[in-house]
Amino acid sequence: MQKMANHIQELILIATLIFLLAPVFVILYILVYNRRKIKHIEEKEQMKLAFDAEIVKTQLEVQEQTMQNIGADLHDNIGQLLSLSSLTLSSIQLDDLTKAREKIDAAIDLTGRSIKEMRLLGKLLQGDQLLGVGLSEAICHEINWIEKSGKYQVDYLHEGEMPATSNLDKDLILFRILQEVMNNIIKHSFATKINIKLAYIAQNMELHIDDNGVGFDALSLHAAHNGMGLQNMQKRARIVGGEVTIWSLQNEGTRISVIIPYP
Amino acid sequence: MSLIIFIEITCFIIAVICLIKDADMTWRSMALFLLITCITEITGKLLKHAHQHNQWVYNIFLVFEASFTSFMFSNIIGKYINSRPLFLSGLALILLLYVYEVIDHGFFVFNNLTATVMSVIFVVYCFYYYYLLIKDEQSIDLQRSAPFWWVAGALFFYFGSTVVNLFLSFLQDVSVAGHNITYFIFTALTVILYSCWSYSFICKKWLTTSRS
Repeated sequence: MQKMANHIQELILIATLIFLLAPVFVILYILVYNRRKIKHIEEKEQMKLAFDAEIVKTQLEVQEQTMQNIGADLHDNIGQLLSLSSLTLSSIQLDDLTKAREKIDAAIDLTGRSIKEMRLLGKLLQGDQLLGVGLSEAICHEINWIEKSGKYQVDYLHEGEMPATSNLDKDLILFRILQEVMNNIIKHSFATKINIKLAYIAQNMELHIDDNGVGFDALSLHAAHNGMGLQNMQKRARIVGGEVTIWSLQNEGTRISVIIPYP
Repeated sequence: MSLIIFIEITCFIIAVICLIKDADMTWRSMALFLLITCITEITGKLLKHAHQHNQWVYNIFLVFEASFTSFMFSNIIGKYINSRPLFLSGLALILLLYVYEVIDHGFFVFNNLTATVMSVIFVVYCFYYYYLLIKDEQSIDLQRSAPFWWVAGALFFYFGSTVVNLFLSFLQDVSVAGHNITYFIFTALTVILYSCWSYSFICKKWLTTSRS
């Protein structure tokens, strides 16, 4: 009986000690939980900073691309037109009035075309600001500029109703990806036909671009880590929770799809 | 001088140094509460040495303990929710039990039931504070958080007291080095309580200095 009582006493003592230790575990748990919470908040802040930096970089790239387009336009189009106008005007001989009239008319026509080109250039200059009006509008301006060269036939399809609220950051990323794809088409694809489709389906903004160019081996490009532009596209899409898919084979054109949750 | 009185006086001195100029009246009142605690403890000891009843002193102290501690919890939890109804209800329950016990067995017997229920209520407040702390989206440096360490001290003491009170009849027969085991447990709990509170007052002083 005495042995039993001693045993119960021991058990009670152990139970008391365990209960006395309980607050230690509670406090340790809260300290560890709080440390994790702080770490999580810091990671969130770092991610936000990285996101903001990427957006600024994208903005700068869009501006740089616009400037390059303007530079090329000034050199190849307006510069040529104005040189031709100057040449035509300088070749006028006032003693032959009929010929002089023809040349003046030609110079007037050239100047008119220069003015028209300048107006288009003005719109291009607003290209990066056009996103404020809407992504579709900005894409239309980009297409206008590409079509002007006469080398490409561009078909643009806009599907689905756009959401009431837009997301400027995501618009900017989509627009920059489009610019990057267009650059690749112009530089490497030798394509003649480009199809662009912008669709809003099931709370996702989808941008599909395909061309009939020479294409490339997408798998080997990924393995060799050479496609920096393509990797950038992937990286940008991922920071807004999206994905870029590239299908391409040698001599079979390229198809690029960007799907981003929106808004 | 016993260890408990020594640690209580030390905590009181730290409270005076750290909290006397504190902007928060509730925290400032802790110095007064600790002064009352020290006076109670010394009076209790003196009466015990004089072989007189001292339980009425602790009965008086119970009123101050319930009020000051509830006031502090109300202040700490009040940062997250409207704590007034909760603490007024808690105080009302303690007061009800106190009056019942005084009527039941007179003022010269310690109000054990009131003390136990009060401990349980304070443990609930402690857990509620930690729950609100976990739920809060803002991050706090807990190692320097005065409320966190104040509540930690209270949790150790009141949780420990509740457990010991529950098993008191079994533990009373266990003796270690000529003392009852509950003496060692209560001494340890008191040391933990006043250590945590002293540290929380020091944290409060740091916060007060850095804000001004």
